[in-house]
Amino acid sequence: MSFELQALLLVWGMLVGLDLVSVPQVMIARPLVAGAVAGAMLGDIPTGLQVGVVFELFQHDILPMGAVRYPEYGPATVAAVSAAHATSAADGFGLGVIVGLITAILGGSSIHLMRRVNAYAVRRAADALDGGDVRTLVRLHVESILRDAARAAIVTAIGLGFAAGVSKVMTLTSVLRGGSGLFLAVSATAAALAVAAAGTLRLVRGPTLAWFAAGLLGGAAGVWLR
Amino acid sequence: MKPPTRPPLLRVLLRLFTVQGSWNYERMLGVGFGVAEEPLLRDLAGAGTRARETPYREAVARGSRFFNAHPYLCGLAVGAAARAENDGAPPAQIERLRTALCGPLGSLGDTLVWAGWLPFTSAVALAAVALGLGWWAVLGFLVIYNVGHVTLRSWALAAGWAHGLNVATALRHPGLQRSGAVLGPAMALGMGAALPLVASYLGGAFAAPLRLAIAVGVGGGVLLLRWSWLRLTGVRLGLVFLTVGLIVGLLWR
Repeated sequence: MSFELQALLLVWGMLVGLDLVSVPQVMIARPLVAGAVAGAMLGDIPTGLQVGVVFELFQHDILPMGAVRYPEYGPATVAAVSAAHATSAADGFGLGVIVGLITAILGGSSIHLMRRVNAYAVRRAADALDGGDVRTLVRLHVESILRDAARAAIVTAIGLGFAAGVSKVMTLTSVLRGGSGLFLAVSATAAALAVAAAGTLRLVRGPTLAWFAAGLLGGAAGVWLR
Repeated sequence: MKPPTRPPLLRVLLRLFTVQGSWNYERMLGVGFGVAEEPLLRDLAGAGTRARETPYREAVARGSRFFNAHPYLCGLAVGAAARAENDGAPPAQIERLRTALCGPLGSLGDTLVWAGWLPFTSAVALAAVALGLGWWAVLGFLVIYNVGHVTLRSWALAAGWAHGLNVATALRHPGLQRSGAVLGPAMALGMGAALPLVASYLGGAFAAPLRLAIAVGVGGGVLLLRWSWLRLTGVRLGLVFLTVGLIVGLLWR
């Protein structure tokens, strides 16, 4: 993969990471969007969509309420698409999901760390804030956004580096040949569907359970008719 | 004090898109709240004389204190607090208003957006990708989701500014009640329909025994995730499944 392409993915990962919490929350951070665009950048939209769908299912496990800590799937999806593309679509899909899940954990931890750094910065500026100093207020806010951009870029860079390293090792050692890649893909698919179903069932209670069941029947009928 | 006849609501709305930019464990949304509210407080500073600056600075300081709510509905509190400042309401009353709005705006936003609109539009997009719409599904998701998102943010700010201290009236808006009642079932129906379609999209190319393995894995995974004593999260389940898949694959060779 060329340096320009890696840089492009890095910028996309940064924007995706920034969108999750800071600016502007228009949901380019959703794995489906992040993955499709990363796939388009690599000239491999089907892989981007496939990996994006898997992480979109994982995302249904998360309810970002209050100060809850959660994995960050946006930049992780960019890294996952990169890994899956580099290893060839059939074998690389499961490998991409492994890279993505580990990057997502790293991203989640980095958000927690950044929030603690933000809290430290706010504590240090408490007197100025309590005195109504607008310049300090705006400076603090802008610095926090820049901090988040840097954080997202670092997470994406580590994810992309991890993706490049792992796909090279896997290709050289042929670990994914002879069925391993297939079993990884099956495991990734089963896990993603289970996570989405369990995440939905957490929200669906009482009368809405009937709507969920009706949806399942309708979806199953759709599959059968196709 | 008379509120500004042409309040800079557009500027405030744009700032509200960054309201979580400085989210932290100390004041949570407080700093972002203060930054967003500030343009609506400028009239308090008058011509910039020293005597007039005090109420402005005090209002800015109040704005940047602890606050937490759903980011899309934060504008309701920003507008209401700024209006109350401009109307010359007592500081203690404004503090009480901010505190009182945290819980309701948080739970309303979580129900409407995080547990309703977002999973519903995501489910529709997933189903559309599974049905072969590709890019159009992704674009459609972004457009449709953000129509709802921007509408909610804009309405919240305008309603907060219009109602001031009586902002509780805005929270009883029939549109909010109706949306809450419709979005839960719509999300459940959408996710229910999306899951078999996505299962077919992701697993359709596998041989029948592997498709059966996926079905068993999904059932087992749901059970494992619902056993709360295991404290298993989605990402951990994924890593466990993939480790098992890798080991089975290596043994199979």
